Amino acid sequence: MSVEALLALVAALLQAGGMLAAAPLLRTGIKKMKARLQNRQGPPLLQGYYDLAKLLGKESVQSETASWVYAAGPRAYFATVVAATTLVPVLVAAAPLEATGGILLLVGTLALGRFALATAALDTGSPFGGMGSSRDMTIAALAEPALMLGLFASALSVGTMNLGVLVRDLVQQGPSWHPSDLLAFAGLFIIVIAETGRIPVDNPATHLELTMIHEAMALEYAGPDLALVEWASAVKELLYLTLLVNLFLPVGIATGFAPGALLVALGAWAGKVFLLAVAVTLVESTNAKLRLFRVPELVSVSLGLAFLALAIRFL
Amino acid sequence: MVEPSTGGLVAGALPAAVLVRLLTVAATTALARRPRPCRWVALGGSMAASVLTLTMAAEVIVSGREVEGVLFHHAASGIVFDYAVTPLSAWFLMVLGVVALPTALYSAAYFAHAVAASRTAVVGVAFNVLLGSVEAVFVATGVIVFLGAWEVMTLATAALVATEYQERANRLAAYLYLVMSHVGTGCLVAAFMVLASRAGATSFTAMLAGDVVSGPLRDGLFALFLVGFGVKAGVIPLHVWLPEAHPAAPSSISALMSAVLITAGIYGLYRVCAFGLGVPDERWALALLFVGMLSAILGVLYALTQTDLKRLLACSTIENSGIVVLGLGAGTMALAHGHRAVAAVAVAASLTHVLNHAIFKGLLFLAAGSVVMATGTRQIEEFGGLLKRMPWTALFFFIGALAISGLPLLNGFPSEWLTFQALLLGFTATPGLVRLNFPVAGAMLALTSALAAACFVRAFGIGFLALPRSRPASDAHESPRLMLVPQAWLATLCVALGLFPGVTLRALETVIASLPGLEAAAPTAAGALGMAPGISSFDFVYPAIFGVAVLAALVVALSLTARRGAVVRQVPTWACGGVLTPRTEYTATAFSKPLLMIFKAIYRPQRQVDALAGASPYFPQGVRYRAEIEPTFERYIYGPLLRGVVRTAGAMRVLQAGSLHAYLAYVLVLAVVLLIWLGGTP
Repeated sequence: MSVEALLALVAALLQAGGMLAAAPLLRTGIKKMKARLQNRQGPPLLQGYYDLAKLLGKESVQSETASWVYAAGPRAYFATVVAATTLVPVLVAAAPLEATGGILLLVGTLALGRFALATAALDTGSPFGGMGSSRDMTIAALAEPALMLGLFASALSVGTMNLGVLVRDLVQQGPSWHPSDLLAFAGLFIIVIAETGRIPVDNPATHLELTMIHEAMALEYAGPDLALVEWASAVKELLYLTLLVNLFLPVGIATGFAPGALLVALGAWAGKVFLLAVAVTLVESTNAKLRLFRVPELVSVSLGLAFLALAIRFL
Repeated sequence: MVEPSTGGLVAGALPAAVLVRLLTVAATTALARRPRPCRWVALGGSMAASVLTLTMAAEVIVSGREVEGVLFHHAASGIVFDYAVTPLSAWFLMVLGVVALPTALYSAAYFAHAVAASRTAVVGVAFNVLLGSVEAVFVATGVIVFLGAWEVMTLATAALVATEYQERANRLAAYLYLVMSHVGTGCLVAAFMVLASRAGATSFTAMLAGDVVSGPLRDGLFALFLVGFGVKAGVIPLHVWLPEAHPAAPSSISALMSAVLITAGIYGLYRVCAFGLGVPDERWALALLFVGMLSAILGVLYALTQTDLKRLLACSTIENSGIVVLGLGAGTMALAHGHRAVAAVAVAASLTHVLNHAIFKGLLFLAAGSVVMATGTRQIEEFGGLLKRMPWTALFFFIGALAISGLPLLNGFPSEWLTFQALLLGFTATPGLVRLNFPVAGAMLALTSALAAACFVRAFGIGFLALPRSRPASDAHESPRLMLVPQAWLATLCVALGLFPGVTLRALETVIASLPGLEAAAPTAAGALGMAPGISSFDFVYPAIFGVAVLAALVVALSLTARRGAVVRQVPTWACGGVLTPRTEYTATAFSKPLLMIFKAIYRPQRQVDALAGASPYFPQGVRYRAEIEPTFERYIYGPLLRGVVRTAGAMRVLQAGSLHAYLAYVLVLAVVLLIWLGGTP
């Protein structure tokens, strides 16, 4: 094994582990900020970790109706999301496994996880699972073209579909402040909200059958299985926010592995993700959840923004 | 230019295959009274012939050398049937063989249940004739043999579609197929006649040299060929026969039709439209892109609302045909602007998808055949719980569903990935406003694959999981091993070609190099493991290596949850305090309802709810519910067209009034007119 491959392996382990470690904090942080905006105290910042530890310690429960698909769903979802974190640059302008693929592999891998979870949700025979599965696949189908078009807009402006190369080139060019970047960012921000199940598309705090989407898919899961779903969803959210900040504002990102630069990068990344989390919180606190059939309008706004971004960049 | 080879062992493979097919047909006919040996002879012979053509195709693909020969030469009349296996033909022959071989094995067990004993010989003969004629289409060197084989292929398919002719729906499907096919064939005959008269020859080498026609005539011929081949490829708006005919045939025949028969149309588009009429025009490329995009999106949207499993698969064939044409469209656009490297990527994408689609669609149809055989119905709403009763079939269907959704680690991903590359590179290689078509096509492709995922989560989840929804589903049992082995083979191919996409691309190198205009294209494979369409590291992917990362993460997930070796506690599903019954499960109709509502401008759904009133209007005795989507193309395009044809025919009936005197008068008038018209020429 060559030195580079070994280095990539270590970096992949560290990055996946780091994302796994940081993700629960992001979710609890947003909950906390939301609570403070509503004059409530909110959960302690470490609540996400307590919840995961408690769930992982419980026994496994499975429906009599279900088969191996039920058990495979959360595990495959977790595995794909965690593996996907190694395709995105986080602290360094390079992704640990960027040599295996780029944007299309990332989007495909996340789709694989979603497919697994949505299929598993149908396995218990509960109508809630079917409801969640149907709605989640619907929203994912609508979000996919806008997500791709938004990513194409930034990828084509640099001329590569590989995230590592893309971020390195962006760092070299410096921030362009081209209006197309702002449009693409706005479009992708909408998609990130849709994909991570936030208000106004989905409400992560609801268990009302009329409104829940992602929660309905996870409704039948308990104990360690639920822990995997929740954890993976948190990692996915952190992954999307990281992708957004590093594609559009790669400021402070390290270009090498010097400890000083890495510390600066860690601070910069945490700060930028925090700012985006504040934005997500504000959107969530000031909006009501949309009816399912109004979501296409929101997504078409994003699609339109991404197309405009492409058009004004290349005309 | 490559040297045609006429010697060697493989040169005899094709005549041998033809001989085997002819002997099989004869033996099958002779054994018509004894269904069991008849079935085994028909399908065993077919498998032997497929092995022969596969060997030959593999040899041509590996060596890149064309194999030519003469099948039949009658000195007295001067009739010569010769053939030429070019690398492009070999690719399609290979796709045919890869699916035909397991399908024949599967049919050996399946026909015993699905085909009446008295029809065994007919179906066995038609099976062989169909495969033989498709092979002839791929290797024909001249237009006469090509059109002859094309027609035999159509007739054999129609016979197979009408296997269960007792049902009116099947007869109608066969009729519709014949009508649509002959409209297509009519276009082909007209276009080939013009081409042949301009070239002064009927051989493809002369007719498709690329410099025979030019200007508006060339555009007109392109349009005729597009319609002619488009019917067979099942692209929208020429698709109307496909969702009727494909499900009507026995399931293993459906697999052949969806996986292989549509590739005859694709082969024609390649051989003639893209690479036979000279350097393509930009407008042709736009037409192909548009047709591909339309077929992909509408095909998957139609598939999404089907509750008949085989119709669902047939509609998804329209979608995949669209993706293939989309890739070809990007390729012709690149050729029109002289970007050979980009064109090579697009052609690789499209030809890879031809192979991958054949494999996963063949697999899905075979698995569907097992399910239909076990339950006696094609309605997804009546399945459910099949995974526990048919574990292997369920597993194979699941693998096929993952593959067709274009998800990584399976073989749908490489071809969709390459199609994205083709579209994005097409964007960078095209000047002006036209290029904005490419990102739109890319977004549409993304929507298509996401909708396909929704469609197959629905088909698998509703069909195979949870509680059985009907008595036949709860009584279902697994298919015999002979029907599972072919599925296992195709499922293995789905995984293998998904993990090692470089193998497919390496095989395609000689095929691409043999196409005019792409002689020296850069390689697109990166070893067996990866794909890197060699254009300044725009993008590359190594699914197998990434698969190891997914596997490692899976091990982490398993170790997190597998504590203390504790047994998993089994409890009933919570059903809001009630008892969980199949009636409380989510249905396939409900699953696709949100998408139906969102795309209602396309579907134009209609529904009717009648409450059967009892003593009080507030407590109805029962509810009758009917919902359907509007058949847009049938109603607004084919309806008026059909009425127009019938009206014209009615008007022309005046001429054909049944009076012999009138007919003699027509002949006289025609003779006079011809004499006057031709009188001046020497």
